[in-house]
Amino acid sequence: MPPPLQAHRLLISHRRLPTPARRRFTAVSSVQSPPAKTLAPGPAASSILSIRESLLSGERTAAEITAEYLSRLHRTEPSVRSFIHVAEAAAQREAEELDRRIASEGKDALGPLAGVLVGVKDNLCTANMPSTGGSRILEGYQPAYDATAVRLLREAGAIVVGKTNLDEFGMGSTTEGSAFQVTKNPWDDSRVPGGSSGGSASAVSARQCVVSLGSDTGGSVRQPASFCGVVGLKPTYGRVSRFGLMAYASSLDVVGCFGSSVFDTATILSVVSGHDKMDSTSSSQDVPDYASELVSLDSLESKPLNGLRIGIIQETLGEGVDIGVASSIKAAASHLEQLGSVVEEVSLPSFSLGLPAYYILASSEASSNLSRYDGIRYGRQISADDLNELYGESRANGLGHEVKMRILMGTYALSAGYYDAYYKRAQQVRTLVKESFKGALERFDILVSPAAPSAAYKIGEKINDPLAMYAGDIMTVNVNLAGLPALVVPCGFVEGGPAGLPIGLQMIGSPFSEGNLLRVGHIFEQTLQNFSFVPPLSSER
Amino acid sequence: MLAAAASAVPRLRLAAPPPPLRQAPGRIKWLLPRRRSLSSSVPNVTPAAGAGALEPPDLPRLANAARISLSPQEAEEFAPKIRQVVEWFGQLQAVDLESIEPSLRAGTAAGSSLREDKPETFAKRDAIVDAIPSYDDPYIKVPRVLNKE
Repeated sequence: MPPPLQAHRLLISHRRLPTPARRRFTAVSSVQSPPAKTLAPGPAASSILSIRESLLSGERTAAEITAEYLSRLHRTEPSVRSFIHVAEAAAQREAEELDRRIASEGKDALGPLAGVLVGVKDNLCTANMPSTGGSRILEGYQPAYDATAVRLLREAGAIVVGKTNLDEFGMGSTTEGSAFQVTKNPWDDSRVPGGSSGGSASAVSARQCVVSLGSDTGGSVRQPASFCGVVGLKPTYGRVSRFGLMAYASSLDVVGCFGSSVFDTATILSVVSGHDKMDSTSSSQDVPDYASELVSLDSLESKPLNGLRIGIIQETLGEGVDIGVASSIKAAASHLEQLGSVVEEVSLPSFSLGLPAYYILASSEASSNLSRYDGIRYGRQISADDLNELYGESRANGLGHEVKMRILMGTYALSAGYYDAYYKRAQQVRTLVKESFKGALERFDILVSPAAPSAAYKIGEKINDPLAMYAGDIMTVNVNLAGLPALVVPCGFVEGGPAGLPIGLQMIGSPFSEGNLLRVGHIFEQTLQNFSFVPPLSSER
Repeated sequence: MLAAAASAVPRLRLAAPPPPLRQAPGRIKWLLPRRRSLSSSVPNVTPAAGAGALEPPDLPRLANAARISLSPQEAEEFAPKIRQVVEWFGQLQAVDLESIEPSLRAGTAAGSSLREDKPETFAKRDAIVDAIPSYDDPYIKVPRVLNKE
């Protein structure tokens, strides 16, 4: 059995307080609270719970909390630009309405997400707000309905504060592909927040909202979570309804969530999960109350992950991965060992083939899904003399560069004579990837890897080189091919920017094991010493 | 222990030896194949000899099929990038995938999920109609449809 992993290098971080060279595990001192299975809120453990406490005790009103977030949003937006649309008046109205109900009904007025401000990625339909998918072809489009995930959040009392920026229709890894604006990473405004859910990640990172919804087709929640230093969850395919999510690749898309803590992410996952008759690919598996399974630190034993078998994916720590990223992950693995788990390396041989297979499948499905943007049913129309010209001109005018490229590549891969060579072979590789993960997840409870080969890179660095940008998705796409759940938790920093650049640890589990991932992620987060993942621009009030 | 795990996974056999690689200047280092590297995907690799000659993408034909009008300068800009990506896709030709079943989907959402065959009315039909750019109640207006000769 290979020896446990050692942290070979000290993490280089401007945010790190002086500590001994070898990381020691010490439990964070507990808050004076009654022993309970549920979490007693510490400063970073849960914003949702602290909002709830303030509302219950009367210490703050929903209107005050909303005003505080909106003020921070306005202060940071000129730099970060997370939002395509901010629904300020609606948010204030909903907060005041909630305060009125609390005054008359008391505790009963509080749904699980009462007073919690949520950002929604603009490829999720919201009935009372424009939904553009990040594209000019849908500029001004207002859907007739809420996406199921949005509806469920609202029913739980959440306040949708706005629609966040994204790469057009989810195609991209930097958010530079948006037709409207470039979102900046809150840690360094010369760098990308990641993509395609860059706006959702940066909004939570900059504390412009409490939690947010994104979508993940090839890593679009996990990579921005890593780049922005927030928690990101990609659920199992079928866990959350895709109704109302503008389809990019239907066999790969999932709705995912961001939070500043594992507890908050677990809370919204429970709210948005479940079977939906409007999405025939949604699962009927029971939805646990994920957050209730997250124990407080004072009830943890000294080796809370006793016996957990963790596999580090070999192919994600070798050639081509930033030294700083590899060290952060190895240090995280050490930390997990100190918590009682057993960590070994595991090889997934079909790993590198997953990347071209993913792009073939995603482009092919996109070429079909995006044929609905025809200038006739909704969105922008360019007038023409005949129908084909109307289609051609409307789509040429409204769709962006990357989207057109992928539609054309997908059209090629699916055309007569090429289907067997590309699409079918990609599906066969998909089988190999699924089997590979299945085998590994029989030996290990959780697999870990980085979420990206580097920390956030500079704006403009990859924009002209599609393959260089695609290459960065190697850590994430295989998980979508297999439909597995994955959680990204901030675990360290590398050099760069005014205060260092965050790195996230990706944890992958077997289908519908989100509960286990969240449990481990929560323990990891709560015992991680000496890191603060609040970017400098958000820490001033 | 790792060897036992590795043998449980179907082995990938290359149909032909990997073609020699041309190093493109400025290409980031980890697109070059190394043992246990992240990616064996090299953008300039030619498809393996046994794969059969796949025609490179005919951009005007594809643009027509996808109903996207491409300006000549867009076509010029897109063609090399698309060709490059499609060549990169070509590495799948070199892998022996005989007897591997293709997977249509992830397979995590088990069983079929059919609802009752009972029609329901969508309450917000007006909002759908409002979104139509060219509407002349009750018709959606489109220009003439020309038949191709």
